[in-house]
Amino acid sequence: MKRMGAESMWEILEGVGKVILLFGNPVVLETTFRSIVVSGTATLLSALLGIPLGVLIGFKDFAGKRFVKTIFNALLGVPTVALGLILYLAFSHSGFLGFLDLLYTPVGIMIGQAILIVPIMISLVIHAVESVDPDVMDLARTLGASETEASFAVLRESTAGVTLAFISCFNRAIAELGVAVSVGGNIRGWTRMLTTTIALEARTGEIEYSIAMAAILLLIVFAVTLVINLIQGRRL
Amino acid sequence: MNSFVRLQGLTKRYNDATALEDVNLEVKRSEVITVIGPNGSGKTTLLRMMAFLDKPTEGEIYFDGGKVDDNNRNHLRTKCTMVFQKTALFDATVYNNIAYGLRMRKRSKGEIKERILEILELVRLEGYEKRQTKKLSGGEQQRVSLARALVLNTELLLLDEPTANLDPRNATIIEEAITRVNREYDTTVVATTHNMFQAEDTTERVALLLNGRIAEIGTASEIFRNASKNLASFARLENVFSGISKTRKDGTSLIEINDNLWIEAASRKEGKATILVRPEDVIVSRKTVNSSARNVLAGKIVGISDMGSTVKLNVDVGKPFVAQITKRSFSEMRLNLNSEVFLTFKASSVYMV
Amino acid sequence: MERKTWVWTTSLLLVVITSMAGTAYYAATSTREKLVISTTTSLYDTHLLDVIEDQFEMEHPVDLQFRSAGTGLAILHAQNGDADMILVHDPSRERAFLEDGHGVCRKIIAYNFFAIVGPEADPAEINGKLPPQALLEIVEAGRVGQAKWVSRGDDSGTHTKERDLWFDVGLNWTELREEEWYIEAGAGMGATLQITEQFFAYTLADMGTYLKYSKNNIITLKELATQGEELLNVYSVITVNNCTHPNANFDGAISFIEFLISERGQQIIKDYGKSTYNQSLFYPAVAFLKENTEPATVQWIKSHAFFDGYECPPEYQNNHPELYS
Repeated sequence: MKRMGAESMWEILEGVGKVILLFGNPVVLETTFRSIVVSGTATLLSALLGIPLGVLIGFKDFAGKRFVKTIFNALLGVPTVALGLILYLAFSHSGFLGFLDLLYTPVGIMIGQAILIVPIMISLVIHAVESVDPDVMDLARTLGASETEASFAVLRESTAGVTLAFISCFNRAIAELGVAVSVGGNIRGWTRMLTTTIALEARTGEIEYSIAMAAILLLIVFAVTLVINLIQGRRL
Repeated sequence: MNSFVRLQGLTKRYNDATALEDVNLEVKRSEVITVIGPNGSGKTTLLRMMAFLDKPTEGEIYFDGGKVDDNNRNHLRTKCTMVFQKTALFDATVYNNIAYGLRMRKRSKGEIKERILEILELVRLEGYEKRQTKKLSGGEQQRVSLARALVLNTELLLLDEPTANLDPRNATIIEEAITRVNREYDTTVVATTHNMFQAEDTTERVALLLNGRIAEIGTASEIFRNASKNLASFARLENVFSGISKTRKDGTSLIEINDNLWIEAASRKEGKATILVRPEDVIVSRKTVNSSARNVLAGKIVGISDMGSTVKLNVDVGKPFVAQITKRSFSEMRLNLNSEVFLTFKASSVYMV
Repeated sequence: MERKTWVWTTSLLLVVITSMAGTAYYAATSTREKLVISTTTSLYDTHLLDVIEDQFEMEHPVDLQFRSAGTGLAILHAQNGDADMILVHDPSRERAFLEDGHGVCRKIIAYNFFAIVGPEADPAEINGKLPPQALLEIVEAGRVGQAKWVSRGDDSGTHTKERDLWFDVGLNWTELREEEWYIEAGAGMGATLQITEQFFAYTLADMGTYLKYSKNNIITLKELATQGEELLNVYSVITVNNCTHPNANFDGAISFIEFLISERGQQIIKDYGKSTYNQSLFYPAVAFLKENTEPATVQWIKSHAFFDGYECPPEYQNNHPELYS
C-alpha cells in the first residue's frame, strides 16, 4: 500500500491487460459462466415475482400505496452482508429452511440474489408503469382494445423502463458479494463467483488477479447493458 | 327522423363537481356536428361518454337505436373512436400506431398494410411508416392520431378539438381529411372546439355547451344571432367582443368596444354587435407592419402558452386579446412576457353577428 | 414490430433456456457426495487446502467443499449443522466444541509458528528477543508514543492467540485495548498486515499470509520475534458428531482424516510453499508426535494443544482408536 499514484495506475492497467490472457483459463471461464447463470436466473426469478407485483401496484390506486412504494424503495438499500447473514440463518441446517438443503449451493445463491433484487425489480417496474402517459390506456380502449389488451398496451409502453429494471437487477446481482459469501460459502469449483474470487484474491494478496477478475465483471456488466440497449432499438 | 346517437338526460359528476347536467342531444347519421364551448364547459366529458370510455352518472345513451348498458358498452366501443385533444401516441413507429386498432379487430396483415398506406396519403404522411412518432412535430403527431382513428372506418368519429393549437397548414390537412371521410364513408362526426370559426367553417349543426348544459343547438349563424342571450358565458370564448357598430360610407363598419379600442369590420351593421376574431388570423410584430390590413392594435404580452407547434399569446390591448403564431416566428421575434407588440388583422377577418 | 418481437422472443427464450439448463446442471451435480469442511481464513488463504482437495478428490468419489470464515464463525457453522468437519487452530474452542457434544475424533495434523512482525526500523527494539520480552518492549514503547500495535480484533484464532500472549505476560487485553497505541483492525490477516504497514506498527501474523504479502511486495514488514513456545500454532481437524448432527457425513470425514494423517497427506503439507517461499509454511505433526522425534517441540504441543494429556480424550474417539495408535 505504500505505492500510490502513477504506479498503482500502472498496476491497474497491467491487470486489465491480463484479462485477455485469463480467458484461456478454464477456472476463470467456469467462474464467469457460473456468475452469469446464477445472477441471470436470479434476475428471471425476481422478474417472475417483481413484474406482476410491480404492474399491479403501478396500475392500481389504493390506500397506503405510497407507503408500500416507500417500503420497496427503502429495501433497495439493504446491505447485502446483512441479507446474506439472515439468509444463512434461514438456510442453515438448524434454520427453518434448512430442510431445503440450499446452503452452500449455486441454487441457494440464485434464490438469495433474487430476494436481494426483487425490491429493485418491483420499484423500477412500478416507476416504469407509472411513467407511461396515462392517456395510453384510454387510447387503446378507444381504438378497440379490451381492458386486458389495453393493460398490455400500457405494459408495452413501459418496455424501456422494465428493461432498465432488468439491467439494474442483473448488474446488482452479479456485483453483490454478501449473499454469495454467506449463502454460497465461496466453495472452490462449486459456489465460487466472480465477486467472491475478487474478495478472496484481494485478501490473499493476489491483487493483480483480483483486478483482472474485477475487469471481467465490469466487462460483463457493460456487455449486457449494451446488448440489451441494442435490442431495445436505441430507444433508452 | 333517423337518430344515430341519442343522449337523454345525461349527467356526469366527479365527486362534488358536476361536469355535465341533463344533456339532451340527437346526432343524425352521417352528420357533422360541432360542440362549441369555452374551456371547462364539459366538451371533453361529453365526447368521452359518447366514446363509451366513461359511464354517465345519470341518463341514457342510445346508439343506433339500442340502449347502451354494461353488457354492450365494450362491444360498442369498437363502433366508434375518439381522437383526444392532447395527442396520445404509442411509443412506436407511425405504422404500428396506425395498425393498432386494426390488429385489435383481427384484420389480416395484407389488409392492414393496404389501409395504412391509403390513410397516410389522406393525412399527407406518405413515406412516414417507419418513423418513430415521438420524433415527429406536433402537427404531424396530431395527423397520425387522426389517421389512426380514420383507418378504422368506424360509424362514429369523435374529435376533441382536432385542430386546436395547430398551425394553419396542419389544421387544413386535418379539416380536409375529416370532410372527406364524412363525404365518402358517411361517417358521423362529433367534434368539439372553442373556436367559433371552426364551427362556422366545417359544420352543419352546432351545439353550444355552457357550464355543462347545452345552451343552444342550431346552425352557426343561428347560434351567433342569439349570442347576446349567453353573452356573459360567451365572452369566455377567445376574441369575442361586443360594442356599438357604425356603418361607414365604403360599406365597412367601425365598432367601438370601449373608449380606446376600435375595430374595423368588412361587413355592415348598425347598433349593438358582437364580433369575433380568429387568433390565427392575427399577425404579431414588434414594429408596425406596412400592410393593407385595417386593424392595428398596440399591446403588451401578458400570457404565453405553448401549444406544441404554435404559441398562444395573451395580449392586453385594453381588452384581453388572443393571437396564435407559429413557434418559429415566436422564437425569431424573441418575444417575452411584457414585450410590446402590434397586432394586425384585416377588416375581413372580423366576424360580426 | 414483427421483427422486434421476434428478436425479443428469441433472446428471452435463450435466456430462459440457459438459466434453466444452468439450474438443472447445478441441481444435478449437487447430488454428489459432499464433505463440507469449515475452516479458518488464515489457513484457507494459503491455498494449501486447494492442493489437498485436488489430491483427495482424485482418489475418492467425494466432493470436498472448504468454507472459510474466522475461527469463531467456522465453529458456529459446524454447530449449526452446516459442516461435516472443522479444521481450525484454537485449542480452547476446540475443547469446548468436543465437550458441548458437537465434535468427535479430533486429530492434530500440522503446526507452525506465528511471528511478531514490525517495521524494519524496529522502534521498540524487539528483534531477536523472545516473545514475552518483545511484547513487553512494545507496550513500553507504545506508552511513550514510540510504537503501535495492531490487533486483528475479529475474534479469530489468531486474535485468540494474541489475547493469550498478553495474558501470559501478565497484561489484560481488555485494558490494553483502551490504550492509544493499541489499534483494533476488526479485519482479516491480510488487511491487518496492510494497516500495520501504514502505521509502522507491530502485529502478530500467521506465516502463510505474511509470506504471501511480503513476496507480492504489498508489505515491507519484517519478522522480528519468531522463536518460542508461545508462538506455536497447532492445526487440528474435528469431525462433526453424527449423534448430535445426524446429517453430518461422518464416514467421509473419517476417510479425509485418514488421508490427512497418511504419509502422503503429511508430505503434501510438508512440501507446500517450499518452491515459492524457500521454506515450509506448515510442519506435519503426526509422525512427529508418534515418534517423539523432537522432544522439546512435542512437549510444547502437548502442553499447548492436548486436553488432559490426550490429543483426543478417549470418550471422544468414537470407536476410531486406530486414528490414535
